Amino acid sequence: MSANQPQYDFVIIGAGVSGNLIAWQLGLAGKKVLILEAGPAVPDNRGQYMENFYTSLAKTPESPYPPLPGNGSTRPLFPLPDPGEEAAPRFTVLQIGKGPDQSYMIQESVPAKAPDGNGLRGLPFSSTFERIGGGTAWHWLGTSLRLVPHDLTMQTTYGVAQDWPVPYDELELLYGKAEAAIGVAASVAEQAPLQQAIGLRYPPGYEYPMPPIPMSIVDETVSKGIAGLTVSVDAPQDPTAYPVFVSPTPAGRNSIPNYQERRQCAGNTNCIPICPIQAKWDPTVTLNQALDTGNVTVQYQTVAVNVAVDANGNVTGIDYLQWSRDAQTGVLSSTPGSVSANGFALCAHAIENVKLLLMSNGRQGVANSSDQVGRNLMDHVLYLSWAMAEQPVWGYRGPLATSGIESLRDGAFRKFRSAFRLEIGNEGWNFPKGDPYTTLNDFISGTNDSALNPDGQRLGGLALATKLNELYTHQFRIAALLDQMPQPDNRVTLHPYYIDGLGLPRPHVEYGLDDYTLDGFLAAKEVCTAIYEKMGAKEYTEYPNAAAGDFFYKGVKYHLYGAGHIMGTHRMGIDPKTSVVNGAQRSHDCANLWITGSGSFPTVGTANPTLTIVALAFKTAQDILSTLT
Amino acid sequence: MPNDDIQDFAAMSAALTGFQLEFLKPALDTTNLSQAYFDYATKATQNEQATVQTLLTAYRAISTQPPQQIADTLLETAGQFPSPQALLAESITKLWYTGSWYPPGSVVMSEVVSSLAYTNGLAWQVMQSHPMGYSPFSFGYWANEPGPLSQFGVDTGSSTGAK
Repeated sequence: MSANQPQYDFVIIGAGVSGNLIAWQLGLAGKKVLILEAGPAVPDNRGQYMENFYTSLAKTPESPYPPLPGNGSTRPLFPLPDPGEEAAPRFTVLQIGKGPDQSYMIQESVPAKAPDGNGLRGLPFSSTFERIGGGTAWHWLGTSLRLVPHDLTMQTTYGVAQDWPVPYDELELLYGKAEAAIGVAASVAEQAPLQQAIGLRYPPGYEYPMPPIPMSIVDETVSKGIAGLTVSVDAPQDPTAYPVFVSPTPAGRNSIPNYQERRQCAGNTNCIPICPIQAKWDPTVTLNQALDTGNVTVQYQTVAVNVAVDANGNVTGIDYLQWSRDAQTGVLSSTPGSVSANGFALCAHAIENVKLLLMSNGRQGVANSSDQVGRNLMDHVLYLSWAMAEQPVWGYRGPLATSGIESLRDGAFRKFRSAFRLEIGNEGWNFPKGDPYTTLNDFISGTNDSALNPDGQRLGGLALATKLNELYTHQFRIAALLDQMPQPDNRVTLHPYYIDGLGLPRPHVEYGLDDYTLDGFLAAKEVCTAIYEKMGAKEYTEYPNAAAGDFFYKGVKYHLYGAGHIMGTHRMGIDPKTSVVNGAQRSHDCANLWITGSGSFPTVGTANPTLTIVALAFKTAQDILSTLT
Repeated sequence: MPNDDIQDFAAMSAALTGFQLEFLKPALDTTNLSQAYFDYATKATQNEQATVQTLLTAYRAISTQPPQQIADTLLETAGQFPSPQALLAESITKLWYTGSWYPPGSVVMSEVVSSLAYTNGLAWQVMQSHPMGYSPFSFGYWANEPGPLSQFGVDTGSSTGAK
């Protein structure tokens, strides 16, 4: 190899959803690719991750994955491991509301009215991510909804936020590729009612790669219980009566055996935190496809620390720290290194992509002439509600969610408040109340944390068993995933002095919600309550006191939950002055640099992001290949 | 005799939980959880006023009574202020339901005893389901109603399996 010859055709930072997909596509085309992954390797099998989950004191989305808090011993959950001593720390659910000694992300979370009067500031950003081989989508749910056409044209259609630089006609074809790559189970016929309701459409003759996942008894009960329901919660501004109906959710989960050699879903009710049998697609599936091309190499425990750029704005290399931890002493050490290539893609998700760009070039930043890197941090902020059904619905069975209410994702109301989809859970009150544990403790110890034991009953024997059976089998919940607006002040920056175990700056996050988004909470609350009333279900939605994420809006108390969808921090657009990447996720500033993932989304839309991340990764791979000779 | 201890501990646990003894301690006991839980609770409370042995003594005095009566007596369900011994009975009930140890009087678990203990938690049975993350059922089962509660090990007093 000559001194001027790059070591690889292409280097990718991050072995997650989009990084692995791009590596696979480039590998198929015969390009030599290196992936640098900050975290530990994908294990040979998921046995240890399952053991971590089973023995975890708090079964959060992160509980199976390293580094672990309080697992498998009498070590308490708190204090959490100090992020200042971890090589590749990440933000977890247990860290929400904790200080810098326990939380990797640094954020002030005392809610206050925004100085400009538009909404609230000081809310805790509550969505989390992983830094391991395979990435955060180890614990995605599998929901594979397409965005609808108006999600891409919010400015043109409704006069708010931004349009996407990708036309829907193009995205529609990319969705077909993404659905095949993931292995999505659904039926076009079952989705057909959504064409009239929200403009969802498919190319003629299109069908999903696998037949649909059956609806649960919870789904069927809600569906029958709300038959004929319409809502007009925005009257008189928007007097339309919108139909409310249940649709089966397209899912990246096997409904037949052997698609991509995966097993058929056995309804483990555990898509998040971890599918024990890999019936659900995850990025390790695609990583194996990439490795099978013979052209892709992964280097684990390697944290990229600098994107090196020449005078012309071309990226020449990546500087990194490869780390290890001594098994005996626990001492962390690292070795610096560099790698050159013809092109580069940052695929490290919406927080770490930002960190790397801002750290680069002596902390002057790279690819940031727009000053948009790190801004417009968004989530599908989540409104959670829960109830007891009239009849048993037997939650806690099947995949975590199999249906949703998608019919309210679009409408004239989007001019003034956020739209949402509603996800129906097959997990009783696990999410809202931590059940089965909370209700069990209540009826043995006489407490009332579930709100189901107001008389403080203490039960045992068959009386306990039958009471618990009656309660658990009637529980269900509905979550609204709201379309949050981009705000430049919702921002990720480098913290000036908090560092991780490698001496790298940790992310500082400032976050809030504007009135447009908050008014979506109001609408979601009204719609959920209307659903419960129509069904004859008894609603129990009431948030506990003094938890980080509580806030009041228009006199009503809410709690902010994250959907786990981190988006917007390196937005795509046509104009280099107001966006970081173009429609192919290529940097406006650096011709051989791509920055991928949901960080590229200019608006979050009304669909869970993973399918769209994969679809865009196909487009990006094509764009990369067009530049590599 | 240690063997009598385990047998009595299992029988007492059946009464406390409302489950069938043969479900907690089958003839071919591949999990041996009654031994594991007896050992765990014994060690966890060895320095307490109420120990597994004092609780077993109380159980043996009433072991011929109907199971519901045994549970109500040991857990002192009629009272507002359970004794240390009743709080230990609560902990043992929670242990079977969750596979986790809750120190007497606490509603916060201190340890998941083992992955085997988690996947054998009775809470999943009593909801006619399976542990989250450990399904013995097949694709599509969730579209159909589950079998009756007695099939999930609850001692409903009916051997015919009626709901």
